[in-house]
Amino acid sequence: MIYALTDPAAGMKGISAFIVERGLPGFTIGTVDHKLGIRSSNTVELLLKDVHIPATSLLGKEGEGMKIAMKTLDMARPAIAALSVGLAQRALDECVKHVQKTFVGKTYPGQTLQFKLADMQILVDAARNSLHEAMHLRDAGLPYSKESAISKTFCSDVAMQVTTTAVSLMGSYGYTSELGKFMRDSKIMQIYEGTNQIQRLVISRAVLAPPPAAAAQKAGK
Amino acid sequence: MNFELTEEQQLIGQSARDFAKEYLEPIAVELDHTGDFPKKAVNALAKHDFLGLLIPGDLGGAEAGFVSYVEVIENLSRYCAAVASIVNNHTIAAYAIQNWGTAEQKKKYLPGMAKGEILGGFAIFEHGPTPGVGADALVAIKQDVGYVLNGKKAFVRNAGEAGVYVVFATTDPALGALTAFLVEADAIGVKVGEKLETMGLKGCPVADITFENVVIPETAVLGAVNEGTAISAKALAVASVAEAAQTVGIGQAAVEHAAAYAKQRVQFGKPVATLQAIQTLLAEVATDCHLARLGLQNAALLIEEGKPFEVEAAMIKSFLVRLGSKMLLDTCQVEGGFGYSEFMPLPRMFRDIAGTNLLDAPGDFPEKLIAASIA
Repeated sequence: MIYALTDPAAGMKGISAFIVERGLPGFTIGTVDHKLGIRSSNTVELLLKDVHIPATSLLGKEGEGMKIAMKTLDMARPAIAALSVGLAQRALDECVKHVQKTFVGKTYPGQTLQFKLADMQILVDAARNSLHEAMHLRDAGLPYSKESAISKTFCSDVAMQVTTTAVSLMGSYGYTSELGKFMRDSKIMQIYEGTNQIQRLVISRAVLAPPPAAAAQKAGK
Repeated sequence: MNFELTEEQQLIGQSARDFAKEYLEPIAVELDHTGDFPKKAVNALAKHDFLGLLIPGDLGGAEAGFVSYVEVIENLSRYCAAVASIVNNHTIAAYAIQNWGTAEQKKKYLPGMAKGEILGGFAIFEHGPTPGVGADALVAIKQDVGYVLNGKKAFVRNAGEAGVYVVFATTDPALGALTAFLVEADAIGVKVGEKLETMGLKGCPVADITFENVVIPETAVLGAVNEGTAISAKALAVASVAEAAQTVGIGQAAVEHAAAYAKQRVQFGKPVATLQAIQTLLAEVATDCHLARLGLQNAALLIEEGKPFEVEAAMIKSFLVRLGSKMLLDTCQVEGGFGYSEFMPLPRMFRDIAGTNLLDAPGDFPEKLIAASIA
């Protein structure tokens, strides 16, 4: 799926979406990007020079690219939320295993550690619930853009927080284990499919939408 | 209260900055990739007197004081935190010898440590919840020949490169009492395990060390017998202040990089630095960095003046366990998808800062000391 400007003068409404197959003449792969995390998911530059595609490769209508991208992102964001919940849950599981192993046969240490684990569980559960809410709305055919953005933002923030806490809670064990990878992987969840700052713009617009009366009045004009 | 560094302290800090720019900046990326011990850089550190900063002048050190020392660590960390970590672990071993060693022990090790001929290591952690408790705890048994050590120390930094280790072993299991020993790397029965894969700070080696019937003379006891816990607590508190300087160095370099990036990255038709959300991220990191620096300088001054510093050291540690990693999480956020790429410097700093703010062991919480100190 490649988005290209078809009418530069029209700005956002001048973007169209195309399905472009690999191997077409003029279509090459540029630099491969080495990243902090999600390293086995490759990120590359796509270079297109005089690539000819038939009109049937157009997805939707000309100029609808941005609309398609936005609708697709509504769906893609909960997927990032789900990735994040998985990362956070695994980090928590590893912490629990570590604590149980370290203190085998002894009483668990102080409340600071216990509460940290409790906080991680609270966040992971709340994150999963926010994801389920967004998906429930979608399955019911109801609007879910706001909830989709909320779940992406909250779940990825939770993943970052929980994996960071996990590394520090497990100390040198965290730093020399897979936990570090979970922390590195979590960072991109807050960045891609729209940074969490962009999500907050989306959410705040929904929150600050004109009250129903004003909206009705405007529609009446 | 005077927050101004003396001219000498500023000069030492600046010379560390110049050194880091010349010797560390060019190797930082490669070091992060290979993880090989940076021998050349360590030799250069020795040549420029950065390995004996706290060691008295008559023993070959620079005797620069702890405030200058943290200035050096912050400035080295701006360019390469892994090398700063090597210096920190070396210095903390030298600090222990300087503070608890006999005149003979000081004469034997400190001049060589100041010159960089002997690197120091500090071996306190074990795989059990606390030293002396686990199945492979390091135990020292007193015999006619001196002491015989058996067991394992975990996550020793500078492992395999150090010439002398400050090693803590259980000498009275009933009391749970530890004693500090000076163990030379070539003592028979000392085996450095495989270098551990770490998330960051690559180039500062970390490994477990196994002790198999290691015989050491009684003259190798550091400080009093069964007083090891007090020695390790104080040395680790000193180390945590230096580690705070490491964090601040990384954080400061990161926020300066992110601010410069935000000024040239254009979105919505203007540099992202003009957006409030970005300004907030940058401002919070800069604030945390500034406050952390004040806190650690305060603790450093107390250490330098020989005053009680443990609570202030615990406070800065607690502060940075909460906010240290956040400095990189937020600056990475400013640089977005581009900043996530390894051709940018923040990913390396992200991994390095996570390794600098670790709790030492589960159950070890600086907050305990702080809470007890509130009168």
